[in-house]
Amino acid sequence: MASRAASTSNAQSWFLHRITGTFLIFMLITHFWVQHYDQQTATISHDVLSTEQIENDVLPGYTPEAEAAVEARFGETAEVTPHDVVMLRLADPVYAVLWKAFNILFLIVALHHGFYGLNNVMSDYIRNPMARKTAKVLSWSLALVLFVVGTYSVLVAGW
Amino acid sequence: MAVDTIDQPAKSAASQDSRFQRYRVRTGMFAWMAHRLSGLALVAYLVVHVWGLRALTDRASFNELIAGYHAPIFKIGEFLLLAAVVYHALNGFRIVLIDFLGWSPNQKRLFWALGGVAAVLIVVGGYPTISSLIDYFFLAA
Repeated sequence: MASRAASTSNAQSWFLHRITGTFLIFMLITHFWVQHYDQQTATISHDVLSTEQIENDVLPGYTPEAEAAVEARFGETAEVTPHDVVMLRLADPVYAVLWKAFNILFLIVALHHGFYGLNNVMSDYIRNPMARKTAKVLSWSLALVLFVVGTYSVLVAGW
Repeated sequence: MAVDTIDQPAKSAASQDSRFQRYRVRTGMFAWMAHRLSGLALVAYLVVHVWGLRALTDRASFNELIAGYHAPIFKIGEFLLLAAVVYHALNGFRIVLIDFLGWSPNQKRLFWALGGVAAVLIVVGGYPTISSLIDYFFLAA
């Protein structure tokens, strides 16, 4: 009956992989829009910086919308840096809770989807059962570390 | 069609002599290989991305990290990331549709239709990055 339990759990994981994948489509659209395309909140701007500029601590430039939002939140003299643009969300008095919750949920779903997929690939090519088990334990340990580190970073930033 | 089915066994038997022709890459095989490769690339990216975001808790190191990500090589990487995500998402969506809806459409046509959608999304979504890279490399005074 052990094999029956194992196949049930495999079927559930397979089903879950499709569910997490579908969720990721919607979460990634939100993530990409907010981080790369929205005039006010995009942390990664479209500037390309040379090595020399990066060495001289030149920061990417932001749109007037982003500058206005940072100044409205952190005062007229606030410097508009990548960190301040992120803090528009992660230090927001009202919506920070929702953004942090979104980020943590996104992190969990992405890690589960990615590492389940990675384990599928690994079990296709690693034939030795012991090596397969080792790869499984190591990869899920890495996922757990990333979950802890990522959750900590998102919670602490801005609070 | 009848000619094809007669021809093929002989052809594949001949190709088994060469160890480099074990895979016959057709549309379905290509879709599967590209899904797997983009998936592996995205897991590698996810690890680096989440690990790098430890810098969120410190203003100076976060700004340094983000400035570094505006170097040309990372901007090119950003475009490749978009391409990998769009392909993986749309091909994954195709798999979900077929698995959950019990849908059996013309597989090749569905794949290439979604491929067309992917190409549009990659071009439109990648336009800001590509145009700023062109500015940087070719139009910078």
